Amino acid sequence: MIEVQKVSKVFDRYEAVQEAQISIQKGSIYGLIGSNGAGKTTLIKLVAGIYQPDLGRITIDGQDNFENTKVKKKMFYIPDHPYFLTHYTTLQMAQFYRSIYPNWSQERYETLVASFKVNVKKKIHTFSKGWQRQIAFILALSTRPEVLILDEPLDGLDAVVRKKVKNLLIQDVSEREMTILISSHNLRELEDICDHIGIIHRGKILIEKELDELKSDIHKVQVAYKGEVPEHVIKRLSVLHTEKRGSVFLCIVKGKEEEISELILNTNPVIFDLLPLTLEEIFIYEMGDNGYAIENIMVE
Amino acid sequence: MFELDTRSRKPIYEQLVEKLKELIMNEVLKPDEQLPSVRMLAQQLTINPNTIQKAYRELENQGFIYSQKGKGSFVNPSEESKDSEKITAVKGELDKLILEALYLGITVEELIQLVKDKDASKRGGAKGD
Repeated sequence: MIEVQKVSKVFDRYEAVQEAQISIQKGSIYGLIGSNGAGKTTLIKLVAGIYQPDLGRITIDGQDNFENTKVKKKMFYIPDHPYFLTHYTTLQMAQFYRSIYPNWSQERYETLVASFKVNVKKKIHTFSKGWQRQIAFILALSTRPEVLILDEPLDGLDAVVRKKVKNLLIQDVSEREMTILISSHNLRELEDICDHIGIIHRGKILIEKELDELKSDIHKVQVAYKGEVPEHVIKRLSVLHTEKRGSVFLCIVKGKEEEISELILNTNPVIFDLLPLTLEEIFIYEMGDNGYAIENIMVE
Repeated sequence: MFELDTRSRKPIYEQLVEKLKELIMNEVLKPDEQLPSVRMLAQQLTINPNTIQKAYRELENQGFIYSQKGKGSFVNPSEESKDSEKITAVKGELDKLILEALYLGITVEELIQLVKDKDASKRGGAKGD
């Protein structure tokens, strides 16, 4: 559905995105995560067809997306700060979108407005940040897009609204096979709904994988021995991180669960525990492996 | 129908497979009963429909459910997969208990004797029926 092929984008001399390569299937929810300033928003704007790539190509359904109204009719982009025309009310914005999106559903719009209890005659800029975001979602979903691009979409929404919005997104994915590209700092948020994850760091895509695969490929191992630690065995594992807490070793190990278990159990540990990692932990350790480690800063 | 723990470390897909297996083994979902559609379940649980699809595929591979084109997924009435699942579970439990017994100083001979006794009484019971 969405193919980003070796795309680079340079601002002055700063290369915000370098040879990024991602591929998003139809009906998939793709989560883009990255460190601050990693190039998430730039990549998202490239996919949304707002920036033109300096190198490489981006296609949606086989067609180049930049300045392509045919492609853009099928997609909706909610930026990190939702944008509305100055002094417009929700009603006026709805009329505007209805005139440019052929798939606009008035019925849907009315249902959503009623459900979110929005006063459509009030100017949007007078609403709070959270409300503006809800209005952006109502308008986006009313256009019934095939591709929905969301930059930090759930920021500033309360728990009830977040759940409501997620549920609406899931409905569109399961019923119409809508494709979603979503970026977020809140990894917990992405963990429930995404099926694919891309990690971007300093403009480069480090990892692109199915979320379940990502999770089954990396484990937290806690192990303790009565006598000496069989270091030669531990060395054979692909360890991302080790920590010693008293006599208990805590390692982050890449690889297949069965293989790791077998190898470690053969060394007769007194304690052995193998846990999956949360997306947040995967992010931290993968970034640590790429020179972006957590430093606990001591302040006076 | 059931809840998933989105705070758990376990991938949602694995949780789904386990939950559904549990429901099938305990016959909450009866043989030949239709499973909820992917769409419905996705919406109920607010989780990605692709994840549910994947879980259903896995259950089908393991022989717990079968699918009919255009109709949906149904619980497989065959006991084979259920039994093998139970055997794996029991073996796992035994593993732990045996290890504990050995740590506590129960000898291998004693354990073997225990197993033999149980086997004999089971056979005796069977004869008596």
